[in-house]
Amino acid sequence: MSGWWKRGLVLALVLMVPLAGGCKKKGPKAVGSEAAGSGFGEEGLGNSSLERARRGLAPEEGGILGDVRFGYDSADIESDALDVLARNVDWLKQNRNAKVELEGHCDSRGTIEYNLALGAKRAKSVKDHLTGQGISGDRISTISYGEELPLCQEETEACWARNRRVHFVILGQ
Amino acid sequence: MKGTICALMLAGLVLSAERAGAVVTGSIFGPGSASLPIAVTALKNQGGDQGSALGQRFAAVLSRDLDLSGYFRLVDPKTFVEDPQTSGITAADIDFVGWAAIGAQAVVKGAITVTGDSVSIEFRLFDVPGRSEVAQVGKRYSGAKGDLPRMAHKAADGILEFLTGERGPFDSMIALVSTGGSRLKDVYRFTFDMDAPTRVTDERSIVVSPRWRPDAHAILFTSYRQHVPRLFQVTLATRQVTMLVGGPAMVLDGAWSPDGSRVAVTREQGGNTDIFVTDASGQNPRRVTDHWGIDVSPAWSPDGRQIAFCSARSGGPQIYVMAADGSGIRRVSQTGSYNTSPAWSPKGDRLAWTTRAGGIFQIVVASADGSDARTITSQGSNENPSWGPDGRYLVFSSRRGGQRHIYFADRDGKTLKQLTHGPGDDTSPAWSPRL
Repeated sequence: MSGWWKRGLVLALVLMVPLAGGCKKKGPKAVGSEAAGSGFGEEGLGNSSLERARRGLAPEEGGILGDVRFGYDSADIESDALDVLARNVDWLKQNRNAKVELEGHCDSRGTIEYNLALGAKRAKSVKDHLTGQGISGDRISTISYGEELPLCQEETEACWARNRRVHFVILGQ
Repeated sequence: MKGTICALMLAGLVLSAERAGAVVTGSIFGPGSASLPIAVTALKNQGGDQGSALGQRFAAVLSRDLDLSGYFRLVDPKTFVEDPQTSGITAADIDFVGWAAIGAQAVVKGAITVTGDSVSIEFRLFDVPGRSEVAQVGKRYSGAKGDLPRMAHKAADGILEFLTGERGPFDSMIALVSTGGSRLKDVYRFTFDMDAPTRVTDERSIVVSPRWRPDAHAILFTSYRQHVPRLFQVTLATRQVTMLVGGPAMVLDGAWSPDGSRVAVTREQGGNTDIFVTDASGQNPRRVTDHWGIDVSPAWSPDGRQIAFCSARSGGPQIYVMAADGSGIRRVSQTGSYNTSPAWSPKGDRLAWTTRAGGIFQIVVASADGSDARTITSQGSNENPSWGPDGRYLVFSSRRGGQRHIYFADRDGKTLKQLTHGPGDDTSPAWSPRL
């Protein structure tokens, strides 16, 4: 494990502290009990796009693991995405204890509920690809944010393409 | 031509006063025609209304409703021939010749008495050419000061009922999702006397798809408050939030059946979404769709026997209708490659949905079987239609520039007005039943 990744973990832990405090106040409706069934603790979700939004931060684009992009109204893995997926698979094989949450996102062109469903399909497509490459499904959770957490707001082809993505969130180990 | 319309209107008013029925319908007098010139005067202060503020507020709210309806042309108050505070409010006292001279065909007058927090009002509608009061429309209301806007909405609804045979939709509420200017979302509510919606929930998360409980006392919504989206319900009176449908997988949206006995929900399992029907407490989910393509956005028919929904089972998303048990699925949207978010008119005869045309989104209104589909919007990008309780008007979100706001239109698209203003990005309107 390289030095920069350790620093990343320390940063994630620092960020967890205020989050955990916030969750405790809300009592049993905190994330922990819900996520327990899918094998994850709440602490890892601190860098999810939603938690970032709660902290006033924009969603993260890419990161240690690159975003997988999609065509309009499509959940099919495109050939363009295979390089990113191969690098992500390599990293997951090298970091055997790491778990990830796959966030399905959509561009703004579509109805909110339909885009939530489409984002779920995109996350599942990537999960299927990862498990097909030998990554255990137990290490992968999925969620859809539809068009709710865009990287950019412009009504341009370039911006729409960035927003049509599956983003990898590395969860605590 | 205009003279003919006015003459017909006049005949309508006079006839109606005798038959107590609706005679003015059809294309001559309809939303968008703005054909009936009406003067709405402030309520006469008969005690306690300091500065006549509430009397003026009543007139302002009533005027806005009548203007939204598209049936009326509001006569400019600057031209009014009587001072509402000094003139009488019965037919014997009214200067019908003077009102006719400024072009008013109808006049609303009334009076208000304020005692502490209590308000008592009466309002009357006068037929100027007939030189008489339309006695069936006039009403007396009493309540708290805070009820005054609802009294004005009821007055507007009654005027529309008399003139068109269908009660107006304004004594109602609209639930919606708004950011209120932040990055996060909550459920908001809007009434037709507001400029900007007010916040109902304290989720500060992602919130989608608000839907009314049929009694209009609670709103269903999907929230990411537990990270994975679930279906919740907020009771308006207490602001208490309870979970209706939980996990383990995502719950995308939910809709109460019209009789309140069941809830149709979209649940995700293994990346795919299907529609389920639960009991009133969100328990005992029964699968009603089972397809590898996306199924989402259930919308009940008003008799509770059918559900319209959006499905990508044929490729792109299209609108389908099925029996509430999932049988007899048939596609109803016949044109366009992208049709989503169906809404069933409370009259049962029409569906509305969102269609993509030329890369932007428009609102379609069609017969319940999908025939006679017409696009009623043309400006901006428009999504998520919801019908008003009279089946005559719709609301939807529209992006015209930066933020999205809620817009109001009649089902033929002849009238179109912006409803919400303010800093928030306003989406997903859901119009309540009549209160």
